Amino acid sequence: MQVAVDGPWSPLLGRLSLAAIPYDNPILVTTFAIVVVLAAVIVGAAFYFGKVGYIWREWITTVDHKKIGVMYIILGLVMLFRGFMDGAMMRTQQLLADGPASPGYLGAQHGYLPPYHFDQIYTAHGTLMLFFAATPLVAGLGNIIIPLQIGARDMAFPYLNATSLWLTMAGAALCMISLFVGEFSNATWVGLMPFSEMPFNPGVGVDYWMWAFQLSSLGTTFNAINMIATIVKMRAPGMSWFRMPVYCWSSLTTNIIGLTIFPVVTVALTMLGIDRYFGTHFFTAGYGGNFMLYINLFWIWGHPEVYFLMLPAFGLFSEIVPTFSNKALFGYATMVAASFSIGGIGWVVWAHHFFTMGMGPQLNGYFSAATMIVGIPTGVKAFNWLFTMYRGRITFATPMLWAIIGLVLLLVGGLTGMMLSASVFDYTVHDSLFVVAHFHCMVLVIGSALFAAVTYWWPKVFGFKLDEVNGRLYYFTFVVASLLVFVPLFYLGFAGVTRRLDYIYNPDLKSLLWVSEGGIGVYFISLFFFLKMLYISLRDQIPAASDSWGTGRTLEWLTHTPVPFYNFAVTPQINSRDELAWRKANGVENVQPTQYVPIHLPNSTAVPFLIGALSAVFGFAITWRIWWLSIASLAAIVIIIIIRSFDKNEGYVLSAEEIARLESRPDLASIIAEQPKRSSLAHVEAI
Amino acid sequence: MKPPKQRRVSLLLKSLVSLPALLLSGCTMDDLRLFHPVGLVARAETHYIVLLVIAMSVIIVPTLVMLIVFPLRYHHSRNAKYTPDWHFSLGIELAAWGVPFVIVAYLAYLTIQGVYAVDPWGPGILVNAPGASQPPITVQVIATDWQWVFVYPDQGVATIDDLVVPAGRIVKLQMTSTGNMNGFYIPQVAPMVDVMPAMESKDAFELDQPASYIGFSTDFSGAGFSWMQFSTRVVPQADFDAWVKSTQASPNQLTYAAFQKIAQPTVNFGAKPAYFAAPDKGLFGEVIMAAMQGVVYPVPDSLTKKVSENPAQGAQTPASPQ
Amino acid sequence: MATNYAKAEPSALWNPSADEHDPISARTYGFWLYLLSDALIFTSLFASYAVLDNPSNAAGGPLAAGAINVSHGLLQTFIILASVLAYSLATVSMKNGNKAGLTLGIILAMVLGGAFLYISGADLWALAAQGNGPTRSAFLSIFFTLLLTHGLHIVIGLLWMVIMLVQISVFGFTKDVVGRLLNLRLFWQFQATIWVCVYFYVYLLGGAV
Repeated sequence: MQVAVDGPWSPLLGRLSLAAIPYDNPILVTTFAIVVVLAAVIVGAAFYFGKVGYIWREWITTVDHKKIGVMYIILGLVMLFRGFMDGAMMRTQQLLADGPASPGYLGAQHGYLPPYHFDQIYTAHGTLMLFFAATPLVAGLGNIIIPLQIGARDMAFPYLNATSLWLTMAGAALCMISLFVGEFSNATWVGLMPFSEMPFNPGVGVDYWMWAFQLSSLGTTFNAINMIATIVKMRAPGMSWFRMPVYCWSSLTTNIIGLTIFPVVTVALTMLGIDRYFGTHFFTAGYGGNFMLYINLFWIWGHPEVYFLMLPAFGLFSEIVPTFSNKALFGYATMVAASFSIGGIGWVVWAHHFFTMGMGPQLNGYFSAATMIVGIPTGVKAFNWLFTMYRGRITFATPMLWAIIGLVLLLVGGLTGMMLSASVFDYTVHDSLFVVAHFHCMVLVIGSALFAAVTYWWPKVFGFKLDEVNGRLYYFTFVVASLLVFVPLFYLGFAGVTRRLDYIYNPDLKSLLWVSEGGIGVYFISLFFFLKMLYISLRDQIPAASDSWGTGRTLEWLTHTPVPFYNFAVTPQINSRDELAWRKANGVENVQPTQYVPIHLPNSTAVPFLIGALSAVFGFAITWRIWWLSIASLAAIVIIIIIRSFDKNEGYVLSAEEIARLESRPDLASIIAEQPKRSSLAHVEAI
Repeated sequence: MKPPKQRRVSLLLKSLVSLPALLLSGCTMDDLRLFHPVGLVARAETHYIVLLVIAMSVIIVPTLVMLIVFPLRYHHSRNAKYTPDWHFSLGIELAAWGVPFVIVAYLAYLTIQGVYAVDPWGPGILVNAPGASQPPITVQVIATDWQWVFVYPDQGVATIDDLVVPAGRIVKLQMTSTGNMNGFYIPQVAPMVDVMPAMESKDAFELDQPASYIGFSTDFSGAGFSWMQFSTRVVPQADFDAWVKSTQASPNQLTYAAFQKIAQPTVNFGAKPAYFAAPDKGLFGEVIMAAMQGVVYPVPDSLTKKVSENPAQGAQTPASPQ
Repeated sequence: MATNYAKAEPSALWNPSADEHDPISARTYGFWLYLLSDALIFTSLFASYAVLDNPSNAAGGPLAAGAINVSHGLLQTFIILASVLAYSLATVSMKNGNKAGLTLGIILAMVLGGAFLYISGADLWALAAQGNGPTRSAFLSIFFTLLLTHGLHIVIGLLWMVIMLVQISVFGFTKDVVGRLLNLRLFWQFQATIWVCVYFYVYLLGGAV
C-alpha cells in the first residue's frame, strides 16, 4: 500500500543518496560554507570560554519560562534573518528577470534563479517567516512576560513549555537541513493542491515542508494549552479577570484560537501525508478526490492563524502606548470585547482567501460581508490607542516610535485588506502583488509590535537598556526600507503582475522593481544598525532601574531588574488594574516584603531537548522514507516520555535565607547567572 | 539629536515624497492596467472599488490625521492638557463601534450588489451589454502544464496561447485543467477565475473595441508557470470570421490523441501560438472525465530541476497565417 | 469613570501563602484543553467525511452502506461503553483506596478495548482484502482514516493503561499517579463519545442510505 517513489530507495537509507547533496549549486555551496564557519565560531567560542557545561545546564535543559522565551526569540530572530535573505533573493530575481530580453545567469533562463530554486525560496520564505520567525517571537514574548504580568512563578506546565520550544526547534532544523540535503518544497507555504501530490512533486521537498509544519504546529498547540492554563489558573491573589493586563487578555484569546485551529491544519496535512505515503485519494484530482477540501481546511486554519499572530501584536500595543503616554489604556473593557470579537469572527471568514474558486455570488457575498465586519473591532482598538495618547504625556522612546509606525501600517494594511475583502474587487487582484503587499503590510504591523516589545522589555530581562541612538537609526532605516520595498508592490499589483513569478513578462516595470530593490538595500543598512545597537548595548551594559522606563504601570516592572529567575521573592497581592500604577499613586511602590518563605521550583531536565532532537531525526527519517529510523526515533520518543513519567521529580526548594541573599544581589539571581547545584526534594508522600 | 517633532515631521515628509516620485519614475500610468478597465465587467469592478475606497476613507483619513496630530500635540515637551485619569467615554465608544458599523453595512451592500453584477458564472451586468442580443461565443479553455488550449466548439477551431474573440459579442468561457489548478486572468478585462482539474469553471466578458491584451495564470502550477502567458486579441466580427475560415483549413487537427501530446509538460517560452482545425467534439468533456479517472501528466525530474536547459518545446505545429 | 486611586489602607502587598496550588486541578484543566484540541481533530475529520460522503467521491466504489457492518457496529458500541463503565468502576475503587479493585477494573477495560480493536480491525482488513481499501476512492480514504484515527486513540489509551498498572503497583496512590488516572478516565470517556458520534454518523446514517 506504500506509494512507489521516483528514484532509488534502499532499506537502509530510504531515498537518501549522495545525489541529494546539491554541490553543483554555487549559491547553496556558499551558504553552506558560511553556515559551517559561523557554527564553528560559535561552538568554538563556547568551548574556548568553557561555557559548554553552562549552556547545557542553564539553557538547554531549563524549564524556566524566561529562558525558554529568550531561546524562542533567538530562534525567531535567526529565522527572520534567513527569511529576509530569501526575500532579498526573490526581489533580486524578479528585478533581473523582467522582460523577454533579460539575461540569464547561473543556468537560469532569465535572472539568476531557475524556477526550481526560486520556487523553493519563496516557499521557504513564507514557511520560515510564519512558523519559525513570527510564531516563535510571539510565543517567546508571551512566555517571558505573561507569568510576570500575572504574578506567577512560571507557566502552568514548565516541562511542556520546554517541549514546545524544542519541537519548534526541530521543525526549524528540518528547514535548515533541507537547504543542504535534498530540496525544500516548491509548492508554496500553503501547499497548493493538487500540486503538492506525488505526480507533480515526486521529490522530498513537500515532505520536508509538511513535517516541519507539523512539528511546529505541535509545539504551538502545546504552547497554547500552557498559556491558557497559566492565565486561567495561575494569576496572583487579587488579580481578578478585569484587573489583568490587556496583553494577557490578548494572549488568552490568541491561544484559544491557536488551540482550536491548529488541529484542523494538522488533519489537513496528515491527509496530504497519507496521500503521499500511502496512495490514498483525499486531494488528488481523480478517484473522487477533492482538493478543494484541503483548501477549505487549510484556510479554516489559515485565517484565524493571522489573528493568532496579530492579536498578540495588538496586546503589545496596548501595553506600550499607555506606558509611554503615561496614562491608563482607554476603554479597557471594549478592548477585551474587541479581542474576543476579532477571534470569534475570524473563525467564519476563511473563504475570502479563495473568492475566485467559484463558490457563487451568495457565498462570496456572505464571506465578503463577514470579513468586513472584522474591521469594526479592529477600528475600535485603533481608536482606543489613539484616545490613550489623547491628553496623555507622551515620550518618544524607541518602543513608542515602533508602536506609532505599527498603527500607521495597520491603517494602510487594513484599508487594503478591506479592499481585498470585497470579492468584486478581489476578482481583479487575487494572487497578485497587491495581495502580497497587503499582507506584508500586516506582517510589518506584527514586526513593529515585536521590535517594540523586545526593546521595551529588554531591560527587564537583561538589566540594561538597548542603545537608543542606534535603536532609532535601526527603526528609521527599517521603516524607510519597508516603504521602498512594499509600496511599489501595490503599484505592480495594479499593473496586473501576479505572484510567484520567476520571470516577469512586462519590461516596462523596471523602475518600480528598482525602487523595491533599493528598499532591500536599505534593509541591509538597517540590519547593520540592528547589529551595531546590540554590540554597543552589550559592550556598555548601562544598568537600568527596576521600572526601567520610569512610567511602567503593570506588574512585571515591580520585579528587580534584571528579573530574578524566581520572578517575585514573595507573590504580590493585587489591589487594582495596573497594579504598579496603583502602588505609585499610593506611594507604596518601593515597599519590599518583610519576610521570605521557601520557594519550590522545578528541576531542569534534558528530556524536552531529547524529544526535540528525536523529533528532528524522525522528521528527517520519514521525509527520506527511512522506515527503520522513523520507527526507531518515534519509539524512542514514546519510551523517553514513559520513563520520564516514572521519575519522581519534585524539583528543589530555595530557602528563605538564600532568597534574602539573592534579593540583595540581583546580578547573581538573573537568568544569565550560573546557579549552583541545589539538592532535589526527597520522595513525595502518598496521598 | 533633533527634537522629536522635527524628526517625526521629516520622516513623514520623506514617506509622502516617495509616493509621487514612484509615479513619476518612468512607469507610465498605462502600465497600471487595473486603472484602465475595458468592457462592462471590468468597468463595474473598478466602479465598485472606487466607491468602496471612498467610503472607507471616511474612517481611514481622520484616523490617520489623529495618528499624526495626537503624538505630536501631546508630546511631553509641549505641555498640553494632561488628564491621566480619563480613560472611558461612552460617546467615543458609541461612535467607535457605531460609525464603522454603518460604513461596513454600506460596504457590504455595495459588495453584494457588485458580486452579482460581475459573477463570472453569469455577470448580471452583461444583461444590458450591446452583445446581449446576439448569441454568445463559447470558448472552452483547457489549461495544461504549462500552456493554454482554447477550443471553439461552435467554430470548429482551436488554438494554443491565443484567444481570438470578435468585438461586440459576449464571450462565455468554460474552463478546466488537465492536472493542476491554474487561474485564468486577463488584467483589466475579465474577472479572475480558478481553472481546476476534473471540474468546470466559467467566466464571461465582452469587449467592444478591437485591441490586444495579455493574459496570465495566477495560481502557481510548477516550473513553467511564469511562461503561461496567452494573447487575447479582440478583432472586428468580419476579421474574426475570416480568421475562423482560414484556421479551419489548417492541416493540424486537435484530436484527443494530439491533445494528449500537447498536454505533456511543456514550457512554452515566448508563448508561441499554434492553431488547429476540427477539435474533437466533446474534447472538453473527455478531458474532465480523464482527470476524474485519475489521468495525470507527471512532471519529469529534468523539467523540474533544469527548465532552462530544455529546448523551447512550444506547440508541435507551426503557426498559421493570420 | 476615573480610576479610583483613593488612598487605600496599607492592604497586604505581598502574599507569602499564595504559592500552594492544587497540582491535580491544574493538570486536569490542561488535559481538558488538550481534549478540546483533540475534539477539533475529530471535527475536521467529520467535516471531511461529510464532504466526501458523496457518490462523486466514491469513484464507482462503495459508500458507507457498502463499507460498514451494521451489527458489528452495534456490538462495538456496547463493548466500548462497557469498557468505559469498567474504568469508571475502577475509579470508584480508587476513591475508596482499593488497589485491587482499581487494577481489576483497568484490566477489564483493557480487555474490552482490545475486543473492540479486534472487531474493528478485522472488518477493515476484510474490506481492504476485497479491493475496497483506502486507496480505492476518496470516500474510502476518509472512511478508513476516521476509523483508524479513533482506533489509534484506543491503542494509546490501552498503552496508557498498561503504564498506569505498573505505576500503581510501584508507587501506589501518589499525586502524580492519581492525576494521571483521572486524566485517563477523561480520555477514555472522550474516545467513547467520539465512537458514539462515529456510530451515529457513519453506521446509522450511512447505513440507512
